[in-house]
Amino acid sequence: MIPALALVVGVVLGLVLEPTVPAALQPYLPIAVVAALDAVFGAVRAQLEGIFDDRVFVVSFVSNVLVAGLVVFLGDQLGVGGQLSTGVVVVLGIRIFSNAAAIRRHVFHA
Amino acid sequence: MRQPPGAPARRVDGSMSLLVDMMANTLDEAYAERAARTAGGGPGGPSEQDPTRSGGLGRRAVAGLVVLALGVVTGTAVAQVRARQEATTGLRADLAGEVRDRTAETDQLAREAERLREDLDAAQAELLGADAAGRAAAEQLRLLGLASGTLPVTGPGVRVVLDDAPPPEDAPDATLRGGTPLDGRVQDRDLQDLANGLWAAGAEAVDVNGQRLTALTAIRSAGDAVLVDFRPLSPPYVVRAVGDASALELELLDGPTGRRLTTYASLYGLRFSLERSDELSLPGAGTPQLRAATPLEQEDTS
Repeated sequence: MIPALALVVGVVLGLVLEPTVPAALQPYLPIAVVAALDAVFGAVRAQLEGIFDDRVFVVSFVSNVLVAGLVVFLGDQLGVGGQLSTGVVVVLGIRIFSNAAAIRRHVFHA
Repeated sequence: MRQPPGAPARRVDGSMSLLVDMMANTLDEAYAERAARTAGGGPGGPSEQDPTRSGGLGRRAVAGLVVLALGVVTGTAVAQVRARQEATTGLRADLAGEVRDRTAETDQLAREAERLREDLDAAQAELLGADAAGRAAAEQLRLLGLASGTLPVTGPGVRVVLDDAPPPEDAPDATLRGGTPLDGRVQDRDLQDLANGLWAAGAEAVDVNGQRLTALTAIRSAGDAVLVDFRPLSPPYVVRAVGDASALELELLDGPTGRRLTTYASLYGLRFSLERSDELSLPGAGTPQLRAATPLEQEDTS
């Protein structure tokens, strides 16, 4: 409940305040969001399976974002940033879908 | 591939283990490991309320902060994408608005030019009407205006309608000028022929779709469109000619122009019709560009 509330508050804050992001970091925002979403879906699934752990969540969240950003940054330096972004989004997207399916099974038993 | 005798049979998709892993192990393994560790160490086993596993208040707060950060980043990313879109659409709207403004400005200037031209004509008529020499000059000016096509003309004549061939039943591409194939389209040359034929038959004034032809008017084509005086026209083309109606009609029925157009009509399906009219009103071509002028003093002394 509290995390969901925090998420909503955060989105509203971001939309209202529109913090200025350095131009160099702008391409990584969507990637960071997708990576973080992956960690969040994993956490929700772990919660439903009864093995949730705060520390694992925070560490996986931060490392997910950092690794995804790093991969895309490296890709940018090598000239394949677009392709690597696609790769990151595809892989994380698959994981998000699988986790969402597991969550669905837990919630609806279907 | 060597395989120990007791090993389990290899999976069929074993060579795609990376993809299989990606699809199957979607939950972070750290959760399971941590759960196993605390379950082994703690007496109560994994449970939600277990304080050793769910961490203290501080860790919960950190998790909440992390989610809050996710929200902020998401909101920022969305806001940025929106701002970028707005910048693009705003630019387009600005350009469209500018085009509208300039068009309105042009229209207004054209109206103003029209009004000034009327003023000029009135002033000219007034000044020239004062004495006999002036009236003679005015009459000459009028005749020149009629001949050069700058003045509107009214009189009997013929009205010719020239149109593309009707599109075939199985029009291959209905978007192209009603599906009429290239052969069946009225070309600039057809209109040139027609105009020249009319002039040759003694027409005094000719217009195409309301564009008065003068000695300087070009009939050309640009791509699919026929341009008359650099203005694109679309079919059907209505060509009106003021002059001796019977001579014009004769030329169009039996002269070289008429025969050519009739041939085109039967060969390619061009539609071509002709009618006499007792009263045709052709617009003027507007004021021609001033190309040469003589100083007034010189004329006075001569």
